[in-house]
Amino acid sequence: MAQIIMVNQYPAEQRFTYGDRIRELRKRKLLQTEEKIEKEGGLDEDDYGRVVAPDDFHFEPESNHADGSYYGYEGWSRNYAKLLSIHPLYCDPMDAFVGRGFFFMTRRKASLWNPDHPYTALKSAFDEYNIICGIGSDGHFTPDLRMGFAMGWGGILEKLKKYRDINTSPENQLFYRCEITVVEAIIAFLTRMGYEIAELAKVERNADLQKNLQEMAAVNLRMATEKPETLRECIQWMCWFSFFSRLYNRGPSGGQLDELLRPFYEHDIAAGILDDETAKFYIACLFLNDTRYYQLAGPNDQGQDMASHVSYLILEAADWINIACNLTVRVHDRMNEDFFRTAVSYLFKNKNGWPRFSGDNSLVNGFMRCGFDQTLARKRLAAGCSWMSIPGMEYTLNDLVKINVAKVFEVAFTEMMATEAQPSTQTLWERFEKHLSRAVDTTAEGIRFHLTWQDQNEPELICNLLSQGPVETGLDVTKSARYFNMCMDGAGIATVADSFAACEQRIEREGKISWQALERQMNLNWNDIDGEYQRQMMLHSERYGGGDTLGDRWAVRVNDLFTGLVRGECQRYPGLNFIPGWFSWANTLDFGSHVRATPNGRRNGEAINHGANPTSGFRKDGAVTAMANSIASVQPFYGNCAPVQLELDPGIAGNEEGVDKMVSMIRTILETGNTLLNINIIDKHKILEAHKDPSKYPDLVVRVTGFTAYFAMLSPEFRQLVVDRVLAVNGEDVVA
Amino acid sequence: MTGMVTEIERFALNDGPGIRTTVFLKGCDMNCAWCHNPETIRAGRDLHDYAQNCIGCYKCVSVCPSKAHKRIDGAHRFFPNLCIQCGKCAKVCYAGAMVMSGEPMTVEQIMAQVAQDKPYYTDSKGGVTLSGGEVLCQTPFAMELADACHAQGISVGLETNLNTPFEKARPLLEKADLIMCDLKLWDSVAHRRWTGVDNAVILQNIRELDSLNIPYIVRTPLIPGATDSDANITAIATFLKPCQNLMYYELLNFNPLGRPKYASLMRPYPFAEAKPLPRARMLELLAVAQSEGIPARMDN
Repeated sequence: MAQIIMVNQYPAEQRFTYGDRIRELRKRKLLQTEEKIEKEGGLDEDDYGRVVAPDDFHFEPESNHADGSYYGYEGWSRNYAKLLSIHPLYCDPMDAFVGRGFFFMTRRKASLWNPDHPYTALKSAFDEYNIICGIGSDGHFTPDLRMGFAMGWGGILEKLKKYRDINTSPENQLFYRCEITVVEAIIAFLTRMGYEIAELAKVERNADLQKNLQEMAAVNLRMATEKPETLRECIQWMCWFSFFSRLYNRGPSGGQLDELLRPFYEHDIAAGILDDETAKFYIACLFLNDTRYYQLAGPNDQGQDMASHVSYLILEAADWINIACNLTVRVHDRMNEDFFRTAVSYLFKNKNGWPRFSGDNSLVNGFMRCGFDQTLARKRLAAGCSWMSIPGMEYTLNDLVKINVAKVFEVAFTEMMATEAQPSTQTLWERFEKHLSRAVDTTAEGIRFHLTWQDQNEPELICNLLSQGPVETGLDVTKSARYFNMCMDGAGIATVADSFAACEQRIEREGKISWQALERQMNLNWNDIDGEYQRQMMLHSERYGGGDTLGDRWAVRVNDLFTGLVRGECQRYPGLNFIPGWFSWANTLDFGSHVRATPNGRRNGEAINHGANPTSGFRKDGAVTAMANSIASVQPFYGNCAPVQLELDPGIAGNEEGVDKMVSMIRTILETGNTLLNINIIDKHKILEAHKDPSKYPDLVVRVTGFTAYFAMLSPEFRQLVVDRVLAVNGEDVVA
Repeated sequence: MTGMVTEIERFALNDGPGIRTTVFLKGCDMNCAWCHNPETIRAGRDLHDYAQNCIGCYKCVSVCPSKAHKRIDGAHRFFPNLCIQCGKCAKVCYAGAMVMSGEPMTVEQIMAQVAQDKPYYTDSKGGVTLSGGEVLCQTPFAMELADACHAQGISVGLETNLNTPFEKARPLLEKADLIMCDLKLWDSVAHRRWTGVDNAVILQNIRELDSLNIPYIVRTPLIPGATDSDANITAIATFLKPCQNLMYYELLNFNPLGRPKYASLMRPYPFAEAKPLPRARMLELLAVAQSEGIPARMDN
């Protein structure tokens, strides 16, 4: 059977400290990243901790549909169990854990939606407005790992069997049969892994690594059925859950990491079987295994800060392994100031885009406006690129549903010019309102459609197990979650706001160009006579991000409209709580490719703005405060995010005083209404050099949108996006 | 009343403590050879030619009353000797090739921008810094602006060359919550050579600063070949020893960002090839300053 193992790579007599092992693991990580780039090409998304599959590994899924693909409980459970039965072991004796994976089943599937449930009627609107509808999408909510810790796989199996005997409808029985198939396959897989590792331990000649393999084998054999009791078992359980969920469908996010680990840490310390160095090593290996999103600190149910000694160990571990990492520190009124400052220091020390920072006040108060209480709102953790989730309780489609509002604007503009004798920003707005309303309505309908049929397409067989509701009711989480807080993001707010502002300023207030001349230039991609001149004129209108400009006022108007429309869908679909946000993820380029030239001076097919950020050149000084104020003004404020994406020069925090200023900046950005802050610390010259030749900086990690990635792995287009953002706030060398 | 302003820079991190907004006023009574904001030296407006931004639209040619802009052999050419600095070309140049620096602004207009960052000033103990150019060249306006900041609870810092007789400078200085002043050269001959003025008034004013009971910072920009000698730093540090309200003496590394501005103003720049001092040299000079027993620091 195919394997990736690294036994007998070191002399028998060589001794290894944890530091030695971390160094070796880091080196190996960089080589694996290079291999991924070489064999699979670049990838504009998370690292996921994946490695390249062995050349001799092949998986042929079994079809259960005439179209040759597989769907529903039976299709997925059967193929998943089959895949697990042949999945190779990846075992690195340097590592504390096993659990690295190669790919996701969803990515190997040609068809992502069961054709028995077409949505043709909705598609035309999706296409017209370039909507990412979310139908057939998966993951992007947070299972509750504590449920797994409390039961272990054996306990999960027992729970399934118990409820199988209670819920006896055919639909329920199908659910339980398939879930049991999955869990039994998992247990068999873990047992096989444990025995394979034990065999490797017999042949490993190095004493240190042999001992590690023996311990690893024992842990893995226990974790096949038992619940974890030690920190090592807990983290191994997490690594495996990560693997199982990623293998299935890219999987969900993490949780409140410090609180997840703290009980195990305290148990082991009290039992005298753990020290801080070992704990840090384990946590560092957790980050190596996967780049899941975890939150640190933040208020507990009583409002007290959750930062603990374990929180510090986590930061130290991330610093030690120093790779792509997705930690978010929750900033709140009773923050542990020392922990906050320490977290900021690591951001500037490692310059790898972690940690991020989320704003408790705006997130909690916003979520409470949906009708939830503060206790529940505080449980909603920073868990993904731009999103929050309550572990085990929510189903959300976070980050999976996006409306390209720049495309909606284009539809409105085109319609106005074709039908209005006297175009104006007023009539343009009315048409934009009409089309955005239609886009939102259709999107909500699509979400409802997804919830109705997704279990027959791709049930969440793994995440069901750690969610409240599915096992108890015998229904997929898309039907049985405690809360359906359905995300609906807009993308392109700056492109639209700047376009409205440019029209109002240059056409209506200054009379510098007519509507017809503007339309002509846009149709010709600014290539008509005086095209570039007029494009520059529109481009340098009052921009969103400038600070109380026309662009800022239009952005607020667009946000108010979008937020109202999305929230209005709650009346149409009782039981569903639609929550608006502004986020484009990595779709910035693709969305832009569907939109022709826009009045803000944007050319055909150019990227729309990133997330809620203003477009490049919004202010000569690129002031962070101005940008943050503008983004704060367009927060929908219902608990989802419009993140601030910041690129800062490392020199800013080169001393203690600089770090103090950064702590203050971050706190104020969040306290003035922002929800999430993604920060890159990048030297302008370094990023320009790396863009020319990525191989010069193979370990350069950047936070692209909400996710971190190795810069070298990104496509040239995405690298350019990051470069443009860096130049926007740091300025070019020559500034007009 | 209006003041002539070149720029309002928000999120300024190097013009005083905390997070600040720096208001750059136009006009200076010195003429430092290394000034990295040369557009702030003249009190009147300046036209900049950023030729690399030109898109060849020739709108400037059609509006220029003095024919300083021409289209020759399919390319734009600017003749600064014909320019009357009317700014009409800058008004039509959206590409940012022709730019006018200096804008008359009222206090209300400035405060409308400044006030937007109040939460940042409060949290970081920052505020507004009035800079330039030379803020004492627009004293009445600067005083009104300082009052407006205080009325909103915003702390005011002044960056000044202190080259104005103390009794004339005092009314504005007294309004500051923090004073940041430059002492570039100890030797008066060298001072006149490099800045155009003697340093006697500056030295006297620094001595007078303690009487204001306002914290102040004295800074020396380290300009290669001009101010960066051990002797200069020693002399200045020695001079500062008796100062009571001196927060610290700060060494600022040479800032090369002025280079493109000189090119745009078509002025020669004697420091076009100069580079910032290496960190090791900065540390040496810092040690020189600290050896005189005064609190000293250097920028990053």
